[in-house]
Amino acid sequence: MPDDTALVTRDELTAMVRRVIAEVLVIPADQVRDDSAIVADLGAESIDFLDLLFRLEEVLGRKVPIERWQRFLEERLPGASYATAITTTVVADFAEQEWRRAAA
Amino acid sequence: MPERVAITGVSAITPVATTAADFAAALRAGRSGVRPISAFPAAGFETRIAAEVDGAFDPSSFAQPRKAAKLMSRATLFAVAAAAMARQDAGLGSGDVDPERLAVSLGAGGMGPVDLDMLQGQHAAILAAAREQEGGYEHTDLAAFARAYRALTNPIQGLRGLPNSAAANVAIQQNARGPNNTIATACTSGTQAIGEGMRLIRSGAADVVFAGGTDAMVNPVGILGFGLLGTLSRRNDEPERASRPFDRDRDGFVVGEGAAVVVLERESFARARGARVLAEAAGYGVTCDAYRITDERPDASGATAAIRRCLEDAGADPGDVQYINAHGTGTKMNDQLETRAIRAALGAHAQAVAVSSTKSMIGHLVAAAGAVECVACVIALAEQFLPPTINYDTPDPECDLDYVPNRARPRRIDAALSNSFGFGGQNACLMIRRW
Repeated sequence: MPDDTALVTRDELTAMVRRVIAEVLVIPADQVRDDSAIVADLGAESIDFLDLLFRLEEVLGRKVPIERWQRFLEERLPGASYATAITTTVVADFAEQEWRRAAA
Repeated sequence: MPERVAITGVSAITPVATTAADFAAALRAGRSGVRPISAFPAAGFETRIAAEVDGAFDPSSFAQPRKAAKLMSRATLFAVAAAAMARQDAGLGSGDVDPERLAVSLGAGGMGPVDLDMLQGQHAAILAAAREQEGGYEHTDLAAFARAYRALTNPIQGLRGLPNSAAANVAIQQNARGPNNTIATACTSGTQAIGEGMRLIRSGAADVVFAGGTDAMVNPVGILGFGLLGTLSRRNDEPERASRPFDRDRDGFVVGEGAAVVVLERESFARARGARVLAEAAGYGVTCDAYRITDERPDASGATAAIRRCLEDAGADPGDVQYINAHGTGTKMNDQLETRAIRAALGAHAQAVAVSSTKSMIGHLVAAAGAVECVACVIALAEQFLPPTINYDTPDPECDLDYVPNRARPRRIDAALSNSFGFGGQNACLMIRRW
């Protein structure tokens, strides 16, 4: 991930998130579609999200506290079942939020 | 009268072979698996040799889904692979046993970081903390350590060091929902895990038990830890000659790694499903010296009692035994005291029994040692030969039994004993008998 915030497009961010999800779940990257549910479709368990956040920190080069992820989910997906509602797009939205926060 | 315990499948992942069939061939050939350490750069270490599992063998290929391997240390991966291979050997399909009647009993180690990744993570955090702190490196600033550890450590990493990681992951992979035991009694772990597995069958708690042990201590902390205690051979220039149990010029053991699992079944259960039975797990004796952490009782009374209890448990006399797979580490103390214990427990018959240490070939697999050595006994019974003690050149007057020097020998074997003794004063003995 380049250091210059302005150079990162949403497409690049989404591609990066797909790559990270594939790494975490040890599956081919082309199995990770934008609308894939991380738990229901791709087989993630709770600790895979800890792994995911740790790897996001590495590629974003900044701290991503788990509390912020939890708050993001509560606001973004109120009352939804996380098993089906957390998709690649949702994770990419979170990554974008964290990226912008650091740039601000 | 409780039912007998049948052994219906075995596996062995060892420094000389990664299948039980190849292990049998290696034992017969008297092949050494000791080499210069390849797992990490060992220049600067006093001991630079070990017995490692062939790098071409990929135990993670047995873990499903593939991401499950992320949570497994090398030792756990070995256990998962060994359980899968033993189950296949036993011909036990997924519908052949009620998952709640399927148990796991595994010997496991656990001294510090379980693999190089974990060690490097901790090391990096300590270095980062030291760089950050003021006033020199004399103390560790825990707040700085916490910040560095938080930034550098993947949260899931610690789960690889869970003491019951091996048994739990075998249960997940094999859908074994019955009793799940982890035995952590150092070098006797594998033997005790099989003995306690026999008890699960005899007590009626399970129909089938995956019993065995696993360990992978060929890492810097493992080698340094045993080295500092003065237990390791430093015959770095002649790796294949370094492990020489019962020889006068022995200078300690060689660290090995691997895993073995035996499938134990209740007799009537094995018969009902038409299982092939390899041997009977006939006896188990276990005691503790209650004396010193590393020294054995000088009269070897604890070890002697374990062997006697094992014979009693099997309803056998000393004269029924033709072969003993010795603990035989190659330390001065173990080999002398084990000889004394065998003489005390078997009396005059000790002179007629063949005693060998397969550690001469595969090194000391620590928590896996007893499990692999139990499989060596099953092989010796099945193929009717005595595995040798290699590197036996010069007799030690204190070790005066038939150690099957250097070459395997054909022999009629009806019953074999397998000894294990461990730090903490642990003593355990198994009897494996013809079915």
